[in-house]
Amino acid sequence: MSRRTIEFAAIGAMMAGTLLAQTRKEYRFNVGPTAGVSVNNPYGSISVKPSPGNTVVVNAVLASDKVEVDSNQNGNRVDIQSHLLPGATEESGHVDYEILVPPDASVSLHSTTGPLRAERLHGDMTLEGAAALVDVRDVSNAHVHVKTLNGPVTLTNVFEGHVEVDSLSGAITLNRVNGPLVQVVSTSGGISYTGDFGDSGEYRLTSHSGDIEATVPEYTSADVSARSVKGEVRDDIPLQPKTHTWFPVKEGRAFMGTMGKAAVSSTVVLRTFSGKIHLRKRAEK
Amino acid sequence: MNCVELRKSLAEIETGGSAEQQAHLKSCPECSALVADLNLLAAAAVKLRAAHEPSPRVWNSIEIALRQEGLVHPPHAGRSLIPSFSSRWAWARWMVPAAAALLIAVGVYVRQQSTPVQLTSNTARPAVSATASDLGVAGLNDDDLLQEVSEQMPAMKAECIDNLRRVNQYIEDAKSDLAANPNDEDARRSLLEAYQQKAMLFELAMDRSLP
Repeated sequence: MSRRTIEFAAIGAMMAGTLLAQTRKEYRFNVGPTAGVSVNNPYGSISVKPSPGNTVVVNAVLASDKVEVDSNQNGNRVDIQSHLLPGATEESGHVDYEILVPPDASVSLHSTTGPLRAERLHGDMTLEGAAALVDVRDVSNAHVHVKTLNGPVTLTNVFEGHVEVDSLSGAITLNRVNGPLVQVVSTSGGISYTGDFGDSGEYRLTSHSGDIEATVPEYTSADVSARSVKGEVRDDIPLQPKTHTWFPVKEGRAFMGTMGKAAVSSTVVLRTFSGKIHLRKRAEK
Repeated sequence: MNCVELRKSLAEIETGGSAEQQAHLKSCPECSALVADLNLLAAAAVKLRAAHEPSPRVWNSIEIALRQEGLVHPPHAGRSLIPSFSSRWAWARWMVPAAAALLIAVGVYVRQQSTPVQLTSNTARPAVSATASDLGVAGLNDDDLLQEVSEQMPAMKAECIDNLRRVNQYIEDAKSDLAANPNDEDARRSLLEAYQQKAMLFELAMDRSLP
């Protein structure tokens, strides 16, 4: 037997051993309308998608016997907890969850490492994790709350709800996110918005030192104010200037004005202390 | 020892029992049978708890009956504003009210800054408070956080220090901006947001450092 064959056999045995050490578990819960589902998973991913009926289905893959899944249903509320046993590490305590919930369920996901994913839901959701990548897409009529320290955050096709994102240093990307309130705060993370600031909402994108870039179509209706104390500010879209301003509008450091139809406009505040701000016009196809 | 005395002292039998009790049990079949039955019940009860836990439906039925009698009330609809903490979080529960107190202190500070200051030749504008004193009101400071992180997850200490540096700079810059533009509502709001970022750092950094 050649040396290469032996190496392949050893690698295969190690992989098989790893797979064997994993445990798969499934849990099912019948719930009523607007159920509450919370998942606390220190190490590992949580992915939430809609289920066809009034059932919460939890599929968990446990990395080792150093972690167990505690599940509890109390009326219309389901709580899932990854319970780390003595001696558990980030690797041995790793659990990956794939969860199906009724679309109107309220969801609370918590994982230090993540990633955290939610899609095609319209119940309120909270996603928190120090280093977790957060990805929310195709959500409507829901309050979306996101908190990370350095995990990147991406929201795509989120409509008609309140959106609040707090990320210390993670990059935040909003693609087609509209609603009565969209608020993003970061200390050093960059913020990128692509959309039309619709729904006559209040949009506030703030970063202390990260750059803020907003790309909008020409038909956008919004009262826009942008200011950077120390960074450069650029505006590619002509604005009707305001006659009264509540802060000094210094050339290159701030701009304020109205784009589109003032009567149906949203309020947009772009603010950074030392980052750059760029309001760009979306290239029409 | 007679039968009455023995039955009064049954608890001691679990730990071995005295010579008197043992002697009585040897001579009294009724007391001996009683002790044997009690031991059997105790052993069976442990197994029963594990194997025959009432189904959730039983508890739901009990809850419904209690509500109908007005002895319990249904929980408020919607999400709780306060996350539940498992027992392993118990020692960190002080973080929640402390973070809330921090935000209240921030709100008071920001409101004080929004009050127009009438400058006269004899009036000195009060100096902007240092972040440490603001946090001292809430009982939080950076050293507490770093100590907790060092003890629970030393590998994260460097990252925590860097995060603290960034967020403290945010707070200082926001204070300076507000001091320069006291009528700027956005500047006031930026300061509040800076403090909220720090409160979030405390919250999530502690969460990360927990096993």
